[in-house]
Amino acid sequence: MTASVHVQNVSFAYHRAQPVLKDISITVAAGRFLAILGPNGAGKSTLINLIAGSLTPRSGTISIDGINIRFCRPRELARKIAIVRQGSVPVFGFSVAETVLMARTAHYGPLGFESEIDRQCVAEALEMTATTEFASRPLASLSGGERQRVFIARALAQDTPILLMDEPTTFLDLKHQVGIYDLLKTIQVNRSRTIIAITQDVNLAAQYCDDAILLRPLSRPPGSTKGSDADLCRCQCRIGPASDVLTAGHIEEVFGVSGFSGRIGKENFFVPLGRMAKDAIRDADP
Amino acid sequence: MVQQLLSPRILLVRTAAAAAVLVVVMLLCALAGSESISLKTALTGAHEGGTTNSDYEILVHIRVPRVILAAIVGAALAAAGVALQALLRNPLADPYILGISSGAGLGATLAIIGGFSWTLWGRSPIAIFAFVGAVGTVWLVWGIGRITGRFHVTGLLLAGVAVNAFFSAIIMFLISVAKGQQLHATMFWLMGNMAEEEFFVLWIGAGCVTAGVVSLYFLAPQLNAISFNPEDARSMGIHVERVQLLAFTISAFVTAVAVSLSGLIGFVGLVVPHAVRLVLGPDHRQLLPIAGICGAMFLVIADTVARVIVAPAQLPVGVVTAMVGGPFFLILLIRYNRKVSWLR
Repeated sequence: MTASVHVQNVSFAYHRAQPVLKDISITVAAGRFLAILGPNGAGKSTLINLIAGSLTPRSGTISIDGINIRFCRPRELARKIAIVRQGSVPVFGFSVAETVLMARTAHYGPLGFESEIDRQCVAEALEMTATTEFASRPLASLSGGERQRVFIARALAQDTPILLMDEPTTFLDLKHQVGIYDLLKTIQVNRSRTIIAITQDVNLAAQYCDDAILLRPLSRPPGSTKGSDADLCRCQCRIGPASDVLTAGHIEEVFGVSGFSGRIGKENFFVPLGRMAKDAIRDADP
Repeated sequence: MVQQLLSPRILLVRTAAAAAVLVVVMLLCALAGSESISLKTALTGAHEGGTTNSDYEILVHIRVPRVILAAIVGAALAAAGVALQALLRNPLADPYILGISSGAGLGATLAIIGGFSWTLWGRSPIAIFAFVGAVGTVWLVWGIGRITGRFHVTGLLLAGVAVNAFFSAIIMFLISVAKGQQLHATMFWLMGNMAEEEFFVLWIGAGCVTAGVVSLYFLAPQLNAISFNPEDARSMGIHVERVQLLAFTISAFVTAVAVSLSGLIGFVGLVVPHAVRLVLGPDHRQLLPIAGICGAMFLVIADTVARVIVAPAQLPVGVVTAMVGGPFFLILLIRYNRKVSWLR
């Protein structure tokens, strides 16, 4: 079960005067793991919400396996794409099992109950994310890392070829960050899912993702005068294999942060350096 | 893990058990009152050896209609409370939060103070005015809320608060200029008035409320997902806007029916959903039917207390719902507080 995603010349604006995305074209081949990186306000979440069908592009098309998602009913779309948004805690105290089961709501029978297949999907998703042991606990009683695994389980239970993740490791400690990416990689490889994840972690993206997009904000911060708007629009996003996109030069250009970079085996890594660190390096190595 | 999820059988058993308890409670409450009556005598029929059987008269023409009315209103308010708390994702929501109460109150006050003498099917226009006021207000609030977004919860709530305040001010103005007799009638209505005795009206009310609660049940799985997060629910293939509009309309309708039958009875629609949720969890497939039944039970008991405690006088039932319900709810809250995520 795999599916490819094509984003073709997509533009989007929440308000007419302030375009967020302009003429974006991305192709994600089936079974690939794509990372979306970029500064705050670059439109990463907007892009992923467009792909999820939660937003409609002003122009351009988004298609899955060649089918324009604009013409998909919500139920059809829910069979193709599942999304994990940045963790929200529900107002009411649903248990882990109830939370994961929600992913199957669109498949319920006429009396509003799940079938045996739905229960199997849930059991499998809990198993994969190692959350079976929490199944009967209230979601609010879990730690951030555990909760994130539950949300991934819910997306898995939806049983879709494509998984979208909006910053799946924000607020997690190092161990859980690596744990989540290990899990995603397993899902990608063993279940042959296509995964698109927004992340702020350049190094984890370089390690785990096949492809990467660097997205930059359309509107420049006030005061900056370099280049015209037209220049910016032409290259709002840079896409390619992760090792080509996530180079120190590109990162410095998009984020405006310089750092220390190198290679470990085949992987690039990048450590952002602040002013004090840079001064210290310059002093030590004139 | 699969074992602890709700199954249709558990739901059916629990609903049936709750319904059975409700019937028993209704029967017991019908027998209680300022005038003690015996079920055995009452069951002998309307006429016992030529004389009128007063036990039968009291039971069938006074007590039973009143108990049925309390059950209808309690069920409607509790079920609507569950639905609105889910839709607005707000534990403070109740059936009146979007202005239904003040709209109905304004309608009723206008009817009483306007002194309309016409009748519809032999009935005073108060209930009809209240119903129209309730439905009109909800429609107004919904319309204002829509301007702020497709289903913008904050916009809806603020519109509800503003309209509520505005209409309450008009009610207070009308009360301040009302004459003694009208004043009394208005206050009595506003505090909850369980005087309906016409079986025809009761059956219509019962039919509307049952239909409403049953249709809400069929939206329950979707309400689970929407109460969790509407955006996520949409990504799971749920027609969020359609479910919201349907659930909202149904809750407004059953609330309007309840309010036009009984006046304003507070507390039931806020507290019964929470009490049931504390004990049984937040799954709406179970919450809606059980809260409906428990709401009915709660109001039947509260109304009986209101009738009995200062007999032969009567308290407004709203006084009892809050006085009995408040402490009861607090006990539940303290006992089960570990299960409540919104308190964290």
